Amino acid sequence: MKFRWKTAAAFLSLALLMAGCSDNGDTEGQESSEPVEQSDSKTLVVANGSDMATFDIHDHNNTSTEAVHVNMFNYLVKNGGEEGFLPDLAESWENKDETTWTFKLREGVKFHNGDDFTAEDVKFTLERVAKDDSLLEYGNYNQIKEVNVLGDYEVEIVTNGPEPALLNRLSRLGSGMLPKNYIESEGWDVFLEEPVGTGPYKFQEWKKDDRLTLVANEEYFGEAPKWDELVFRAIPEDSTRVSELMTGGVDVAVNVPPTDVERIEGTEGVHVEQTPTQRVMMLVLRTAEGNPTSDPKVREAIDLTIDKEAIVESLMGGAGTVTRTRVTPGNTGANESLYGTSLYDPERAKELLAEAGYADGLELTLSSPNGRYLKDKESVELMSAMLGEVGITIDLELLEWSAFNEKYQNRTFGDMFLIGYGNSMFDASLALERLTFEQAAGETDYNNPETEQLLETAETNMNAEERSAQYQEAQELVAEDRPHIYLYQLEAITGINDRIDYEPRLDEMFYADSVNLK
Amino acid sequence: MKYLLKSLLKTIPVLLLITMIVFVLMRLTGDPVSLMLPENATAEERDTLRESLGLNDPLPVQYLAFLGDLVKGDFGDSFRYNMDALDLVLERLPATLELAIASMIVAVIISVPLGILSAIKRNSVLDLFITGGAVVGKAMPNFWLGIMLILFFSVTFQLLPVSGRGTLAHLVLPAITLGTGIAAEMTRLIRSSMLEILGQDFIRTARSKGLRETVVVNQHAFRNALIPVVTIMALQTATLVGGTLITETVFAWPGLGQLLVQAVNLRDMAVVQAATFIIAIFVILSNLSADLIYRLLDPRIKYE
Repeated sequence: MKFRWKTAAAFLSLALLMAGCSDNGDTEGQESSEPVEQSDSKTLVVANGSDMATFDIHDHNNTSTEAVHVNMFNYLVKNGGEEGFLPDLAESWENKDETTWTFKLREGVKFHNGDDFTAEDVKFTLERVAKDDSLLEYGNYNQIKEVNVLGDYEVEIVTNGPEPALLNRLSRLGSGMLPKNYIESEGWDVFLEEPVGTGPYKFQEWKKDDRLTLVANEEYFGEAPKWDELVFRAIPEDSTRVSELMTGGVDVAVNVPPTDVERIEGTEGVHVEQTPTQRVMMLVLRTAEGNPTSDPKVREAIDLTIDKEAIVESLMGGAGTVTRTRVTPGNTGANESLYGTSLYDPERAKELLAEAGYADGLELTLSSPNGRYLKDKESVELMSAMLGEVGITIDLELLEWSAFNEKYQNRTFGDMFLIGYGNSMFDASLALERLTFEQAAGETDYNNPETEQLLETAETNMNAEERSAQYQEAQELVAEDRPHIYLYQLEAITGINDRIDYEPRLDEMFYADSVNLK
Repeated sequence: MKYLLKSLLKTIPVLLLITMIVFVLMRLTGDPVSLMLPENATAEERDTLRESLGLNDPLPVQYLAFLGDLVKGDFGDSFRYNMDALDLVLERLPATLELAIASMIVAVIISVPLGILSAIKRNSVLDLFITGGAVVGKAMPNFWLGIMLILFFSVTFQLLPVSGRGTLAHLVLPAITLGTGIAAEMTRLIRSSMLEILGQDFIRTARSKGLRETVVVNQHAFRNALIPVVTIMALQTATLVGGTLITETVFAWPGLGQLLVQAVNLRDMAVVQAATFIIAIFVILSNLSADLIYRLLDPRIKYE
């Protein structure tokens, strides 16, 4: 009897202990912790979700890698968003004819190893990526036919055909200027170990999957660097990244999950910023004969039934903006009248279905990747439920990314699929090229001669204003025809220490010198 | 010596089999090209890349080419880092070994005294606490424990760093996270093994000689109870490696585990091959060394 009492007591205490533990765990998240320390250290620490991939600027297509590189390398021109293109290593440029551009380079610029930056470096950099098809960025540069050195500080770029988006190409990933002499004399292996650029910060140390450290380049040709040291840490686990932010271990934590926003906002000394990204989530519909979605009324009904605002609010915690175009503000050719707005009218949708002959309902297939995009599975499940309300029964197919990708490449989806495209070119051409007749074949089979004509003309139109207008008109037509039903633009959530002023950029680049110590 | 040689020779087919399984699985479960290129890459771009990575050949041809390089110690280059996969793996090995050894120390520090104590105080409240605690310790998932430890010790009390590698303080939380599960397993084993030994004749003899209980326990029982513990410690190497995958990711510990997780996610085949190969060698060697330590602890064990 005595023993049983002991046993019972022991179990009770154990249970209490466990309850105590889990209780601690639960309240931890909500209780605001100690205020985060506000040091005035001139070291800026950024926590990314993954490490940068390589210093071979032509052989990756990784935005988070480029976000780091922009502090070490300079482009010829900088994309200033609404300000247009700004001089960087090029002082001025001229579009001589449809396929020829000349650039006048800034003089007196030195690489971190002391070499002068000249026209030869431009030729070396751009011709490498334009000609070597084994490089990941090749596809974005093979429009360049050749680069001619006109003088020490003047180059000419000749393209294969008219290339209105050349400046967009030259102000992004792959266009950081490389030191020709250094690479040719020391070899790529040495460059990859000890990279050299012209930027405001120079390489100090890279411990893979741990941290990359850059230090101020005192010889920088532009304004003196604001920070003594930059540290980019790789912290894959979301909650660990947030914890580092909350203990002052890092100044910036990228990709904060929506569930952690409250926890950060509840802590003194740190805050979150929600900023738009280039990624737009959309449904891609087949418009070919044989699918119910070939009827424009059915496609309109689907659009009207999905409450995009509700999805953004309930699933993304508000971290998204509804849109009816994929060319969002900040991109050349954006049609802003289609941005920030969505259509929702389930009653009208029912009428449209009845008009289309589906008064008794219809069945459609919807495929989606699972785990590729933020809340992708949940979004399509919610959409299926919404569509079910008006009589559209969804046969949902959730696929792991590589399985999804196989179907995507083979173009074997049924009526609809969900996808989220980015746009590293900041130009409407990339956003809409999949809707040209040639590229749409087997996917949407979209075929509106008017749109086709607009896209074709705009693609090679060297008159910037006219070109933008053509793209804007094309977006109107696409929004009306609905081969794509655009849902929402994803927003990035960034955790920031209050000791700095920092506004994340649309292109997700991290320019350390745009960050100020308060 | 002959035994050792024989065992080492036996590892060759095992390693070959492992490379084959990893090779086939990695190629069946996903296409690295689709993960390396953006959604809107054209079919042409995909083909060019596939060709340059040598993914267009039939599987057996690819595997034979891989084996040919392997003999020369070449696992190929990492897609992600554009550098030799084996170098990448060897670069991370020290960090993982550091974590693994620290976790083992944590596990031994916890499990040896608790295991002995719960055997001596069999069926007491203390015993119940210890065995109950062991069940809880074993059941707790590493990632959960890691995150809780960070919230408690780093965020709330700000006693230890959250993540990364550097000072000894950085090692504490990951080592506890990884060591707890192993400690739980070992505690239970030491307890049962001690109980078995304590009931044997030679212990009764020792007691009847009038030896003090501490001497009986420490010198007579514990040494004999160690034999199965050594086995479990060696077998834990595999658990330990599995644990590093999660623990290193939670604590941003730049080791082999984190490298492997990312390589699998990106289908970075050369790195996965090199990492699993090195891990397999470690597991095989630790099992072999367990066999050898056996012999030191108990001369009655003979190898055939």
